[in-house]
Amino acid sequence: MSPIEENTLNTNRWRLTLDSWAVVIALLAALLIRVGVFKHIPW
Amino acid sequence: MADVIVVPQVHTPSPAWRAVRLVPGLLLLAAIGFAGKLLEQNIAAYAKAHHLVLPNIEYVLWAILLGLAISNTVGVPEIFKSGVATYEFWLKAGIVLLGSRFLLGDILKLGGVSLLLVAVEITGSIAFMTLLGRLFKLKPKLTSLLAVGSAVCGVSAIIATRGAIEADDEDSSFSIAAILALGAFALFTFPLIGHALHLGDRAYGIWAGLAVDNTAEATAAGALYSDAAGKLAVLVKSTRNAMIGFVVLAYAIYWASRGQAKTVQNKVAFLWEKFPKFVLGFLVISVLATYQFFSKEQVTALGNLSRWAFLLTFAGVGLRTNFREMRKQGLRPFTVGAIGEVVIAAFTLALVFGAQKLLGW
Repeated sequence: MSPIEENTLNTNRWRLTLDSWAVVIALLAALLIRVGVFKHIPW
Repeated sequence: MADVIVVPQVHTPSPAWRAVRLVPGLLLLAAIGFAGKLLEQNIAAYAKAHHLVLPNIEYVLWAILLGLAISNTVGVPEIFKSGVATYEFWLKAGIVLLGSRFLLGDILKLGGVSLLLVAVEITGSIAFMTLLGRLFKLKPKLTSLLAVGSAVCGVSAIIATRGAIEADDEDSSFSIAAILALGAFALFTFPLIGHALHLGDRAYGIWAGLAVDNTAEATAAGALYSDAAGKLAVLVKSTRNAMIGFVVLAYAIYWASRGQAKTVQNKVAFLWEKFPKFVLGFLVISVLATYQFFSKEQVTALGNLSRWAFLLTFAGVGLRTNFREMRKQGLRPFTVGAIGEVVIAAFTLALVFGAQKLLGW
């Protein structure tokens, strides 16, 4: 395997899918609401 | 003289530039979603002020209709496309946050019932779609894609299966177009049928979650009926989504046994790769809410944040649906999909009625 291919594979291994990003961002938002950074979200 | 080989330079845009490119589309999603919300509020206020009885059209429908109007008239300009495509991200983030409005006990109770209904729905739908594909003499892999799309979860299932069974690009675009067109149709017909049959929120929500294929359309079809129906549609649809890995694995094994796809070496890794992670996120937030990690006000804030995420999703559903593009894909796969969807809708409705009678909802 060439160094370029190896590098690409290593990069892809750590790349999050859209699905996982959505979970990370939603959990982060929930945490920010929990610690009081966002107290009120209007609708 | 030695030949000079010119290697084309592939420029990968930097993460910052990729993020900047999302901004116009995101602003468009927000503008359409917010316009839908304003329309709902203003029409209701106008009707109240003038003592008129007007049908209450929810922001969900307005956002979809505004998106559809743009997509099918002037079209979505290139500059907006990458940002508009983020609607799937908002859908999944919205579902995770919606977990705060479910207690673990409710999920276990409803999840148990929906798991059983989903298992029956998936088995019946795959069997029927396979039969229909054979009757209409569709290509076997196209039939597999249509069966997975209508039995499990629309576009994501088709994309996951395409890679696993090594189907043609043409077959997958046929199936995706058919599933999207039928999803758009279900979005408008399901609430009408639900009201005509006087279905309760629970029965309707479960039905929409079982029968509407794409997660975005199932969420919207549920929310168009009522808030409670929307929550249930998401729960049942997420249960269906959780099955994606098993169904795709079964298809991969089947096609590999016929020598027409690669053999799956590590089945556990395969299942984990295909498993929709947002279902886990939904469960995590629900567990935290059940054990009162969040106060009542914080749960309200999380619920509202989830609604904002869905607002962007619904605008994206409208903008993504282009009937002209769908018509180009041909009639046969669409006909198979349409017959299949009608039968699956009737079959799942009968399942819901059966469960309703048995469990006394």
